[in-house]
Amino acid sequence: MSTDDRGRLRTLLDRAADWLLDATVLERLAIAVASTLLAIAIGLVIVAAAGFDPIRFASQLLIGAIGSERAILRTLRNSVLFVLAGVAVAVAFRAGVFNIGVQGQFIVGGFATVVSIIWLAAFVPTGAVGGMILLVFGTLVGIVAGGLYGALPGVLKAYGDANEIITTIMLNFIAIGFVGWLVAGPFSDPDATATRTRRLPANVELPQLVFSDPNLSIVGLAVTLVTVVAVAALLTRTSFGYDMVTSGYQAAAATYSGVDAKRMIVLTMTLSGMIAGLTGAVFVIMIQGYFTDPSGIGNYGFDAIAVSLLAANNPIGVLPAGMLFGGLDSAGSHIQINSDVPVQLIDGIVGLVVLFVSAPELFRMTAKRTGLGGDSE
Amino acid sequence: MRTTTLLSPKRLRLVGLAAVILVALGAFVSIVLDVQVERLITRGFVTRSLEMATPIALAAIGGLYAEKSGVFNIGLEGFMIFGAFTAAATMFMLGGTSPTQGQLWLAMGVATLISIILTLGFAVLLIRYKADQIVAGLAIWFIALGFAPFTAATIWGSRSSPGLTSINNLAFGQSPMVFFTVIVVAAAWVFLYRTRYGYWIQAAGENPKALDTAGVDVNRVRYATVIFSGAMAGLAGAVLLAHAGNWVGTGDTMVDGRGWIAIVAYLFGNYNPIGAAAAALLFGALDMLNVQFQTVGIEASARLVNLLPYVAVIIVLTVWGKTRMPSKVGEAYETEE
Repeated sequence: MSTDDRGRLRTLLDRAADWLLDATVLERLAIAVASTLLAIAIGLVIVAAAGFDPIRFASQLLIGAIGSERAILRTLRNSVLFVLAGVAVAVAFRAGVFNIGVQGQFIVGGFATVVSIIWLAAFVPTGAVGGMILLVFGTLVGIVAGGLYGALPGVLKAYGDANEIITTIMLNFIAIGFVGWLVAGPFSDPDATATRTRRLPANVELPQLVFSDPNLSIVGLAVTLVTVVAVAALLTRTSFGYDMVTSGYQAAAATYSGVDAKRMIVLTMTLSGMIAGLTGAVFVIMIQGYFTDPSGIGNYGFDAIAVSLLAANNPIGVLPAGMLFGGLDSAGSHIQINSDVPVQLIDGIVGLVVLFVSAPELFRMTAKRTGLGGDSE
Repeated sequence: MRTTTLLSPKRLRLVGLAAVILVALGAFVSIVLDVQVERLITRGFVTRSLEMATPIALAAIGGLYAEKSGVFNIGLEGFMIFGAFTAAATMFMLGGTSPTQGQLWLAMGVATLISIILTLGFAVLLIRYKADQIVAGLAIWFIALGFAPFTAATIWGSRSSPGLTSINNLAFGQSPMVFFTVIVVAAAWVFLYRTRYGYWIQAAGENPKALDTAGVDVNRVRYATVIFSGAMAGLAGAVLLAHAGNWVGTGDTMVDGRGWIAIVAYLFGNYNPIGAAAAALLFGALDMLNVQFQTVGIEASARLVNLLPYVAVIIVLTVWGKTRMPSKVGEAYETEE
């Protein structure tokens, strides 16, 4: 194929992609909002059916998410994790690869960060410089570990035809079990009563500027924003990102223009796993300071699937979607303490959001039938 | 089925792989850990493995029918969770913490019924509203992981139930549901390969247009199979509960990935009900190896041994990944009018 042909094909595809994006961006926003509202409404009905006061519950949702400075900081802190993990999912889904394994890659990345920092701490000086070295080293190890754990199902899919949905779910179970075994056994802290690894050295800490919350650093927010922008730029402004997205939406066209589909699957999974590993590193360095039994860790990697879908797998859209989930999670912490309503309800609401997002036709048909909305719903 | 298909390379590969896994496992156990295999493979082990395989096999049969007709029901895990929980809740409502056997059977029936109702909604979303089958199926899992422990907490004040009762054994110290599953597997095979309706199901997945032309409503066939798959998954969850005797709602709940393993079981069995059941038995045995190791006195971390089924699933999928899916799986069908 001549370069001219290839150029023309690319322009054609470009135009098609632009048109698709423009035509649906408003509609997708409307669907995301409608899905969320409908899911919360059903959640409130269930609260009422279970014999609790739905209005009180709704107000507690709001108070817990944005009702005080503490709540807002907690929401921001959770949002960092949801946005990062959401970007990890979005990268894969955009390329047509269903990486359900972000949770496992997050766990492996976070654990690797803790272990590598504790190991290296013996060789570097204490103090700020040593802390900096440990921080960077640990984060890089987390990214690499997450990337490798993501690459594995990618290789299995590309060269063994193993369905990535199932392998990544199995790898989640394996990560939880295996890291859980490591944390309880070889890497457990003999002095701790709870099951956890030793603490990170005191000099491994992100600077406390701007926020009063010890578990929220401006550096964490900056890393998140940079990741979002970098991934968005990668997907829309580079030929690599272009090939990635095309192989997701138009596999035949991508192959036709010379993309090695198998390699692309492995690269996509690796990139997605790397971002998940980064999420794990940020989680342990900024928030936890050690690693616990992963079966009790938050479901960031799972909820990230909902975040990404809500954002139509657009990295920029992941920002508001991730903050919504950060708020929901923060409200969950508040409700757990201040209300009798079992907090698992929030997980159920998240599931409902995903269900509604999966069926845009539901809203289109309803909109048509009720005569609501023009082209936006 | 003719002998040629019975002895096809694929099938030989399947049997070969299963044999290799078993032999390798046996060799590993006997050489590395210095244990005689006959002490490991006891009658109790076989009984427990069959018991463990039952829910996986039932869910696999359901999932297989749905996928044969062109709908990938990835929500099996979620429906199993709903089934197990509903059975526990019903049992508790009827008989408190000491329900009778009759109430247990009734509870399994109610669980299946509730699953059918839930799947009906799921099927409408998938077929009428053309929902993304993968995303919607995942959503069912998330919803179940949230609402089942939530409802459990409102009933029992904790995510898990107190001890209820487990099913009485029938003949040979075996659960009646094991015999029931054998019948279901055989019936599912006959129905799929020997009846007109079975051919409709296969046609709905392979060539829906031809089926439509022949005057059969493709979507009606798909509704039937999806609802059947939900019913089977719900029953599978209820059977899991009936064997365990109490509901566990912490972590990934007591279902703990068995719905996903069921999907792999029917892929491994190449969409054949008998193959799927055989694969379920293999996974059930791996699941029970943990208990067996303990009885024989092998020092192995329970947590690591518990990961064996998941590892096996990955190996099986990779070596055996090239199953031929029905060609129209995942596509909504629209009649041309």
